[in-house]
Amino acid sequence: MLNSFRQSMAWVHTWFGLVLGFVLMVAFFFGALSVFDREIDRWAIPETRFEPQPMPSYDNLLKQVFADLKPHPLDMAATAERVIGDLPAPETMPMVGLFAYTTHRDPVLRIGAEFAIPNKPIDSKDDHLHVHGWATIDPRTGAALPDDQLKIGSNWFYPMHYSLQVHWKNIGVFVVGLAALVMLVALVTGVIMHRKLFKEFFTFRPKKRTQRSTLDLHNMTGVVALPFHFFFAFTGLVIFASFYYFPVSGTLLKPLHDRHEVIEAEHTGLPHDEAGVPAELASVDAMVAEAKRIWAERDMAGEVGLLMIEHLGDANGYVSIYRAGSDRVALVGEGIHFKASTGEVLREEPPSDPVGAVNEFLTGLHLQHFEHWTLRWLYVAGGLLGCICIATGFVFFVEKRKQEHAKRGLQGCRLVDAMAVTTVTGMVLAAVAMLVANRLLPDAMPGRGDWEKWTFWAVWLLSLLHALWRSAPVAQARSNPAWREQCWALALACVAAVLLNWLTTGDHLLKTMLLEPYWAVAGVDLSLLACALVSVFTARRLARTVEVKQASRIDGVAYE
Amino acid sequence: MMVSASRGAIISRILAAIFGCYAFVWGVVALGVAALHGAGLEYHAAEQAMMMLAFLLYLGLFLWTFAAASVRRVWLVLAGGSAVMLAAAWQLQRMIIG
Repeated sequence: MLNSFRQSMAWVHTWFGLVLGFVLMVAFFFGALSVFDREIDRWAIPETRFEPQPMPSYDNLLKQVFADLKPHPLDMAATAERVIGDLPAPETMPMVGLFAYTTHRDPVLRIGAEFAIPNKPIDSKDDHLHVHGWATIDPRTGAALPDDQLKIGSNWFYPMHYSLQVHWKNIGVFVVGLAALVMLVALVTGVIMHRKLFKEFFTFRPKKRTQRSTLDLHNMTGVVALPFHFFFAFTGLVIFASFYYFPVSGTLLKPLHDRHEVIEAEHTGLPHDEAGVPAELASVDAMVAEAKRIWAERDMAGEVGLLMIEHLGDANGYVSIYRAGSDRVALVGEGIHFKASTGEVLREEPPSDPVGAVNEFLTGLHLQHFEHWTLRWLYVAGGLLGCICIATGFVFFVEKRKQEHAKRGLQGCRLVDAMAVTTVTGMVLAAVAMLVANRLLPDAMPGRGDWEKWTFWAVWLLSLLHALWRSAPVAQARSNPAWREQCWALALACVAAVLLNWLTTGDHLLKTMLLEPYWAVAGVDLSLLACALVSVFTARRLARTVEVKQASRIDGVAYE
Repeated sequence: MMVSASRGAIISRILAAIFGCYAFVWGVVALGVAALHGAGLEYHAAEQAMMMLAFLLYLGLFLWTFAAASVRRVWLVLAGGSAVMLAAAWQLQRMIIG
């Protein structure tokens, strides 16, 4: 496109990196937080600050819990729009399928169920017509947690990571997907642009002028974590590929896919359809014991991660029991399926074929169900390195152009810099402000979770307005004071969150680290304090640069 | 940086890189899944294999879109290739199902 191949690649790197960089920043930062989503949940919902629990007994506890579970009003409303005629009353809908899910980091248990309805769909291709119900319960007692309590880690930060919380037509998922592709593009073009790959491992000159040291840091963080960045962008795309990005099986190749499903159902012996004959459920606990025995026989003893029942209450019903993936990277379920009415083993899933094994490894590498705390922290480090790489990319873009823009009276740098402030300090500020709101809002407040979400968006929007308002100096080739000011605000918010946690729950760091160790909460508190320290350091460092620059200003133009 | 290409040509390349390549990869995935499954590979294995290939191909095509000399040829290859492969995938599916 341009004069040379390398120039074209540099153009792609600069402009795609800039535009999608704002999205990548969100994906990397909230991805890093999602590594500890369950721990953030514990911080945000103090009633759930107890030890992780294994899957509880079905016969003695879950059976009753599911008997009490009703279709969720939200899904009732959503389904009503997809079907002809009125839905029957929720109490009368029969439960036809259910699941319970936990991991080695979950004190609470997620459960859900499908309820059958007699209505026909408006769109005849709509072939999954059920109403869903869901809840989160305390697996020790079966008591449900209030629906209003937002799981900030796993239901807000984690979906933010892959969907930006923009759910209309799944736009968010596609924008993040494009950003992930651009991450791959930026890595390849970045390597093409520089060539001196090895040298950049060791080059960082923090005392040089901002433009130089920023580029050093951009290159270093990009190169040091190159395999990490590549793998995460790539596996993230693969995880969503068949459902969102290339849904061939649900569209063009649906006939082929459906034919395969029916053949597979015959082959596996797992009934594809209901028999229409009611049947009782045998002891699920006995099936769980049998599944554990089979796993132990294969030399991979483990706990139950996922329990599902399909065609519940029907003679064709079956119970599927999957292993929790705590002890390996690959996300393998080693599923064992039992006939629901008798408890006999219908099928043991064979080891996956080579393609499946690669896929499970890639998926597992990204989703990290394994129990390995050091590796988990390395993931956080990798994610934050990605953030540094992207943020320094923004800063370099601005530093490289702002002198020229100032001379020519252009406003481009000013806008990019304000957007950079918003997606760097503003984004972190929004996340921490949400935690502060979580501790300040009254427990019994209706719609409490929604208020937390609004706090998040409002603070983020304010940070944008603040950055724009304070951005005038950038047009004169100086720096935006909003960087510094938001760093101070962030430091305050972090300390406030830690103090509020102490005041409202009594869990101060001395207690969570030493007296009654509870590392989920201690870890969040310590991370907040570390964030405060980094913010203060950055704010002070930025103030120093401004002084130097002001001292070296001659005739209204800054010389560095 | 001086850009030696018109604004229209740049926009055309950007659209080709995002949507043209997407359509092309869609075609490759559909045809690949049908062909691999037709050749005896289990359906989901075929699907997963193509999903992993898809993004490496997308990455390569994306860069090629900007490196290629002629933007018209880029569009021709992407749009033509996509249409041909989607049609071939459909036809192949009909032959497999019989």
